[in-house]
Amino acid sequence: MEIVPRLGELERAVMETLWSTDAPVTARDVQEALAGRQLATTTVLTVLGRLERKGLVTRERSGRAHHYRSVASREDHVATLMRDALDAAPDRSAALARFLGSIPADERAALRDLLD
Amino acid sequence: MDATALALLLWGALLAEPVSRRLAVSVWPTRDPVGGLLLWQAIGLAGGLALLGSGVIYGLRPFGPTTPAAVPNALAAVAGGRWPEEMGLGHVLALVAALLFALRLIGVLVAVTVRTLRTRRRHRDLLDLLATPWPAVPGAHVLDHPVPVAYCLPGLRSRLVLSAGVLDALEPAAVAAVLAHERAHLRERHDLVVLPFVAWGATAPFVQGMVCAQLAVAALVEMRADDVATACTTRTQLTGALRSMGAAAPAAAVTSFSVALEHRLDRILAPPAPLPAVVRGCVRLGAAALVAVPVLAVLLG
Repeated sequence: MEIVPRLGELERAVMETLWSTDAPVTARDVQEALAGRQLATTTVLTVLGRLERKGLVTRERSGRAHHYRSVASREDHVATLMRDALDAAPDRSAALARFLGSIPADERAALRDLLD
Repeated sequence: MDATALALLLWGALLAEPVSRRLAVSVWPTRDPVGGLLLWQAIGLAGGLALLGSGVIYGLRPFGPTTPAAVPNALAAVAGGRWPEEMGLGHVLALVAALLFALRLIGVLVAVTVRTLRTRRRHRDLLDLLATPWPAVPGAHVLDHPVPVAYCLPGLRSRLVLSAGVLDALEPAAVAAVLAHERAHLRERHDLVVLPFVAWGATAPFVQGMVCAQLAVAALVEMRADDVATACTTRTQLTGALRSMGAAAPAAAVTSFSVALEHRLDRILAPPAPLPAVVRGCVRLGAAALVAVPVLAVLLG
């Protein structure tokens, strides 16, 4: 199996685990939650490290273990993507191409209010 | 002052302001979006080269009769520290201005490119975690949100994205029309067509012509994608998709958005006659000539 798609799929699984609980969790908790996959601890740590670098997960030390938590809920992240997709600011228009063209500057704020 | 340099300076200023403004309100590009986009690229490139070239030609004049002859002499003068007697303050200022202009253009282009790539990477990272691949269409991803949005994330690892709201609001045929439109953006790399105008709009936001150019290019890119989409679906499917999404999207609450949408619907349903082939050829030749003028002026003048 290719390594990159596998990592992407693992990232989704680990994020689902973090989203399913409010409390911060350790790498071992994640490993146990995903016991069916029989992941090595190093693999879980690698995936958590990748998610931390992407700014999706924060890590804090308590005692001897590191605790991980997601920086935002799933819904908040979806809202971020939707804002990106609808916020047709001219200086960002090269980043995404939308089906419904661009929206004039003075009316973007109204649009954002509707989304929030 | 040197006639060639002065002519180029005027030429650059004309392209950046009155010519850009005029083209932005012209109607013919709606009949030939590809020609319109080529002409815009040529105006941007020619305008930049003309302004840059005028400074270089005037600044290098003391070193030789033509720019290609002057460059080696100027390099030798810099290396030897000996300046020709005719070298005045005006020539130095012209060279410094040309250098600053070039650095500013390139700097802003790099900054905008880096920011764009960063935005896209962050967006793609989140998308890959949150969106579900849609089995019906390879490469398309569905985002679970009721507001209908369809967009694409351009780049080497591009993504086509539909929100769940789109799938609720549209018939399968209309979804296909939306996807055809987004695929045209991806395949023809419209993001790269738009990028320099975003950058140059940011370089000189006080020049109205640059801002007009940015908006006109964005509109032409949409027309082009609509043209490609209507070639692989039907016109009514595409307008149906635009209407349903326009009515359901929060953007429909804003009036000028609705006006722009009406224009787009009109153009799809009653497409203006394409420009005659001869005129289209002239547009392309004109675009090439625009870029050739400053290049030849620097090489010969």
